[in-house]
Amino acid sequence: MHRRTVVTVVTALAVVLGAALAGVHGQSLSGEYKIGVLEPLTGPLAGEGKRHLEGYEIVRDMINERGGVMGKKLVFVAADAPDPTAAASEANRLITREGVKIITGTFSSRLCGAASEAAARHNVIYWESSCVDPRFNKRGLKTVFRTEIDATGFGWYNIEFIVKYLAPRFNTKPNQLKIAFLSEDSSYGQGVTESARARAKQEFGMQEVAAEYYSFTSINDFTPIITKFKQLSPDVVHHIGYTNDAPLFWRQAREQNFLFKALVHAGATGYGSPDFGKALGNDANGVFALLEPGPGFRLEALRPEGQKIEREFREAVQKRTGSYPFGGHQLAGGGLWLLKVVLDRAKSDDLDKFRDAVMSLDLPVGSVINGWGVKFAENGQNANERVQHYMLQWQSGQLVTVWPEEFTTNRAKWIPLGAWDARK
Amino acid sequence: MDPARRLGRAQIDVLAQLGVSTVLLGGIYALIAVGLTLIFGIMRVVNFAHGEFLMLGMYVAFWAYSLWTLDPYFVLFVSIPLFFGIGYVTYVLVMRGVIHASHNVQIFTTVGLSTALQNVALVLWTGDFRTVRPWHSSVVIRVFGTAFNLSQVVAFAIALGLTLVLFAFMKWTHTGRVMRATAQDHDAATLMGVDTDKVYRLTFAIGIACVGAAGALVSPLYAVYPTAGLQFVLLAYVVVVLGGLGDMVGAMLGSLIVAAVEVVGSYFFGVAWKEVCYFILFIAVLVFRPAGLFGQRGAETLGV
Repeated sequence: MHRRTVVTVVTALAVVLGAALAGVHGQSLSGEYKIGVLEPLTGPLAGEGKRHLEGYEIVRDMINERGGVMGKKLVFVAADAPDPTAAASEANRLITREGVKIITGTFSSRLCGAASEAAARHNVIYWESSCVDPRFNKRGLKTVFRTEIDATGFGWYNIEFIVKYLAPRFNTKPNQLKIAFLSEDSSYGQGVTESARARAKQEFGMQEVAAEYYSFTSINDFTPIITKFKQLSPDVVHHIGYTNDAPLFWRQAREQNFLFKALVHAGATGYGSPDFGKALGNDANGVFALLEPGPGFRLEALRPEGQKIEREFREAVQKRTGSYPFGGHQLAGGGLWLLKVVLDRAKSDDLDKFRDAVMSLDLPVGSVINGWGVKFAENGQNANERVQHYMLQWQSGQLVTVWPEEFTTNRAKWIPLGAWDARK
Repeated sequence: MDPARRLGRAQIDVLAQLGVSTVLLGGIYALIAVGLTLIFGIMRVVNFAHGEFLMLGMYVAFWAYSLWTLDPYFVLFVSIPLFFGIGYVTYVLVMRGVIHASHNVQIFTTVGLSTALQNVALVLWTGDFRTVRPWHSSVVIRVFGTAFNLSQVVAFAIALGLTLVLFAFMKWTHTGRVMRATAQDHDAATLMGVDTDKVYRLTFAIGIACVGAAGALVSPLYAVYPTAGLQFVLLAYVVVVLGGLGDMVGAMLGSLIVAAVEVVGSYFFGVAWKEVCYFILFIAVLVFRPAGLFGQRGAETLGV
């Protein structure tokens, strides 16, 4: 009995104390506006998730230095979403327990579907800044928006680059170009690859010699694939990979002396991740990755307001991380900045006002961070042609911007790639 | 034209390369599976945290290389005793409490341990993908149209050596006999005066030392990150089931079979089919030869 009394007293105390603390907490929030941030902070995507969160934090501080949102200081409640189940349940928790009206995130195409579905059920705004799953905006959800292009856009840009830039330099017509597709099998890889395949074939009649999918969580050896590819002798390898598999493929392709003219990737992971350069050093030379702008990017190519904000963003990232922004920073930063632009216009998180503000935005390319423009479609997707993307190339341990040429001071090298040891 | 049907030199080169890839990949799987089969076979504990010890072994190699530029092969000499100690401590602190509990409890415990270790790694070392690039990882050996790198050959050789040493240890030493006796009948062994707790402690420590060594050896080949272990651990289970529980040589052969299925399946049917291929094999073995392909003695206690 005695023990039970003690337990009761302690519980009661905890409840009272908790309520008191919550009260204090609530008061101090009066000048703050809280949004939910969902990122994979543990699990296999944690590295990218954390970089993404860092990008959000940098731009959050920039926003707060410039008057916050709706006159309030912008603050985050971050939640960990290592897998789709957690993404949905954490979205629910952010909404019901933390009371957020806007959720942003989630880095990965594996997560954004589940997270946004949960948000939409509660009529909460879901502001996606980087997943590229093409199905994301095809579900008729009125509260779901995406600032980054979808995987279809990645595929579109990659084929554009191959046809307009690479083919003439190989002295080949696009319909004589042999292309091998290799991809990890999540909705990100599949989305990019399928749209690239369709465009390559239908629009340009390219010769597809292979299309292989694998699971990035269990691939340990690419030599069978490479052996097969060697016999098919493609000109271009279109490989969408994650961060453990891309270096493995590249290292083994070198070991097997697999020669082709170019490798093209899209996205901030895999060949687009800084880890790729760290893993391979100068052996990484020559790989192309479609991304946000990197070193060599000409600020002068942007509109004046775009130049200003892009310069300030780069300086803020430099100050915090000591380096040029990585893809994860840029996607998160660019996306969050657009959220501020919308909130400035809507002056409210009321769903209808917010949606009207989103739909009325019409900024040309070069207006905001990453040289992006804005024009949302009714389905909540920012237009492919406004979200300007850039081809970067690994050159001496660094990803530098090489295409479109009007946006950069750097030029692509090793076209065609040539012998493995000759790419210095 | 189907490239596989083309005759002549090119085809021979392809077959040779597939053969070499199989053997070398098999070596890596064997390295990881050998410690698992020991623990599984003797203790009848399904150690779901095995992959995480591999990950820790890879991190030890990574830090030794990036802080003091120590070659992973040198680190091996530190890793083996270090992981022996880690295994010993883990047994005393965690496994001893559940060694006589039901399989469910053991599974929960080791899965919990696995998740805990992944997250410790994540907190301590972030989710970045880290790589070790000693000189031998970029040395490519070319023989008769096949190519492979030196680190893989060394990993294979050590896997083979380790398997044979463990096999000999189990077969011909007194301790090995005691361990096998414990595996075959825990109660009878206790009645014969065997200190089974000591046997388990030793088994777990040796098993973890093996996987710690494996971590150092695969570090030049694969990136390390907090969930790196998951990449291999499922496969290691297939290998262990194929080879028969606690059978070292079986684990080696099982690894080669899994690698062959993976390599050949990837080449002929496409890499998307590789898991389908070896899990069909896995299920077939469980259904038709539950004691493993090589019918290991003592496996009848599996159901205990």
